[in-house]
Formats: sequence, structure tokens, C-alpha cells
Amino acid sequence: MSFLDVLSVIWSGFGVTAEVTLLSLAYGVPFALIFGILQFTTQGWCRHAATIVIEFWRSSPVIILLFVFYYALPLAGLTLQAMSVAALVLGLNIGGYGSQAVRAALQSLDRGQYEAGMAMGLTRIQTLMLIELPQALKAMVPTFVNLLIQLVKGTALVSLITLADMTYKAKSVAQMTFDPASAYMGLLLSYFIICYPLTILGRSLERRLAVAKEGGHV
Amino acid sequence: MFDFPFMLSTVPVLLKAMGTTIWVTLVASIGAALLGFSFEIARRSGRYSGYAMRFVIDFIRSTPILVQIYFFYFVLPQYGVTLPALVIGVFALSLYYSGYLAEVFKAGIDSIPAGQFEAAKSLGLGRLDTTLLIVLPQMLRAVAAPMGNYFVSLLKATPYLAVISVHEMLGTALDIGSETFRYPEPMIAVGIIFLVLALTIAQAVRWLELRLLASLKR
Repeated sequence: MSFLDVLSVIWSGFGVTAEVTLLSLAYGVPFALIFGILQFTTQGWCRHAATIVIEFWRSSPVIILLFVFYYALPLAGLTLQAMSVAALVLGLNIGGYGSQAVRAALQSLDRGQYEAGMAMGLTRIQTLMLIELPQALKAMVPTFVNLLIQLVKGTALVSLITLADMTYKAKSVAQMTFDPASAYMGLLLSYFIICYPLTILGRSLERRLAVAKEGGHV
Repeated sequence: MFDFPFMLSTVPVLLKAMGTTIWVTLVASIGAALLGFSFEIARRSGRYSGYAMRFVIDFIRSTPILVQIYFFYFVLPQYGVTLPALVIGVFALSLYYSGYLAEVFKAGIDSIPAGQFEAAKSLGLGRLDTTLLIVLPQMLRAVAAPMGNYFVSLLKATPYLAVISVHEMLGTALDIGSETFRYPEPMIAVGIIFLVLALTIAQAVRWLELRLLASLKR
């Protein structure tokens, strides 16, 4: 098998990698926004509850969460497909990190923005949606790009719960051809091709944001 | 049905494996810090080494840790290098996190005022003396917090070593599962232990940071 053949087998798993990534985002982005906003706007037990949920998803190692939910959910009477478990776990894990970016971005806004909104007679929700969030979103973007890279890399884990993503395909090629060097070199290269543009994008967004903060000239 | 006494019976075995988890975390953290600092110094030491190191760091950051572990574990023996799985695991973790720490150190060194380098030069200090006596101590103060976060993140990456049959906590839990044909109980036990461990160590790191910053201010 030539190196190109190896690459084409690996990329036949791209569909699964992309599917897991997109489904995870469908869980992770809403989770990050809702829980980040909850942690920012609420006080008392509601805030504590939000923090506990976030810390559970953020502080547990994602590989352990994946195994726990894959093996233990059937006991609770829930038999989910491997794809659903993977999307749920990877999505909420990355969403937990994302929620902290949301909260930090909201907290970094000048308090005058909130006060002006309230003084103009907007409700708390209107102030949040029309004044605070649009400004905070800009500050979140670089962190979200970095989290997206982390998510794409995290999808390699789904190969451990029988999903045929790029990593799974590379493993089977390595076993079939007895040539792990080209299989894993090809796999590293494939992930690099996907993630490197995102790495560059994240860095340039970070720089642009830093420039904007310093008043437009460097 | 969920067998609670069985879950409790797995706890002592898992706690015994916690030694490996902590040991791996400590050694790989030191390795990652040393490698990351060397990478960053090499990146600054010349134009072409700068380009080369930037590429190496970006490559490390743009590929999944799981794939890097597979790569070293399966490919090195093909070239006649056979090392114990534990050594390969510690090396892979060190290398992966060195990519992130290099970026942290970059920001730390950038925060040192240019006058410090000029003063070192006018005092006649060489490159090595400047790095070790002027740059390192001032950089450490600036990077303590983000570096601590990456050490916690490294702790959470140690269960990846289970895939190359290192007997840390997840590997031990998977062993119990395959011997008894009961996966949920050891998985939930290892999940709880890891969550408690990660939260404890995150708190300890935060405390150490505060102590360090307080002692440096004096």
C-alpha cells in the first residue's frame, strides 16, 4: 500500500470525525451560552447549581467521562448509540470550558454598559441580549476557535468506543499492513491539515483583538 | 443491576493505581516545562531556528495527544527502539504539553521589560547567564497561573496512557472490567475518584500560586 492509499483510507473516516464534531457543537455551544450566562446573572443557590454542573463536565477527564457514560448509561435504562454518547460527552465537556469564556467575557465588560441599559428602561434580559452579549461575543471568539481545535482533536477518542473515525481507520490500516509508521504518520498529517488553519486563525484573531483593545494602533 | 458493594470493592485497587497517576503527572509536568522552555529559547535564538521551532510547536498543538501516543508506541519499535509503555507515555505527555507551555513562556518572556535585557547586556552577561538569571525568574512570576492550569490539564490527560496498557487508574478499571465482565461499577468509581483528585489538585495549585505571588511581592 502506498502512502496515498493509506491517506485515502484514513480520510474515509473523515465523515464520522466531522459528524461527531458538528453534533458535539450542537450540545456544546448552547450549553456554554446558557450556563455561562446563568453563572454571570444569577446569585445564591441557582449560581451554585450552575457551577456544580459546569465543574462536573469541565473537571473530569473527557476520556473517563466517555467510558463512564458509554458503559454506565445502559444500567440507567438508557441505551444510546455510540455516536450519541460521544457527541453528548465531548460536547458538554467542551461546553463546560466554553461557559467560562462566556462568563469571563461578560464580566470583562464595563459596568456602565449594564447601568446605562437599565437606566434607559430596558429589562434585565433586554440589557443582556441587546447590550452585553453582542459586545462580549467579540471577546469570546478567539477562545471559541481554540476550543474548536480541542474538540476536533478530542474526537480521536471516539475510536475507542467503536466509531469508525479517522483514528479508527488508521489503526485498522496499521494492523492490516504491518506498517504502523506510514499509518500513524498519515494520521498525524491528516489532523494537522484540519487543525493547523484553525490554529493560525485563532492566533490572528487573538492578535487583532489585542490590537483593538489597545486603541487601534500598535 | 448496579452492584454497589462491588463498586466499593474496586476502590482500594483503584486507589493503589493512583500512585502511578500522580507519579506520571509529576514527571511529565517537569519534562513538559523543561522541553517547553527549551523550545521557546530555541525559537528566540535565530531566524531559521525560529521558523523551525514555530512549526514544531504548531504541529504538536494541532494533533491529538491520543494519536501522538499511538505514534510513539507503535512506530518507535519499527525502527528498533523498544521502550516500556510507561516511558513512552510520560514522554508523549511531556512533548504534547511542552507545545502549550512554550506559548505560555512566550507570553511570560514578552512581558519582561526590554530594559532588563539591555541591563544584562551592559553588565556583560552571556546568553546563558541572561536566560537563567534574568529571564527565568521574572518569567516564572508571570506564568505561574497558566502553567498551573496546564499541569492540572496534564493530570486529566494521564488516563490516555490506558490505551497503551499503562496501569494507571483507568487502565486498572478497564482490567477489572474485563476480568469480571462488569464495566459500569469500576468506571463510575474511577470517574468519582478522578473528579475528586482533579478538583483537589486544582485547588492546591491555586493555593500554591497565591503563596508564590505573595512571596514574590515581598
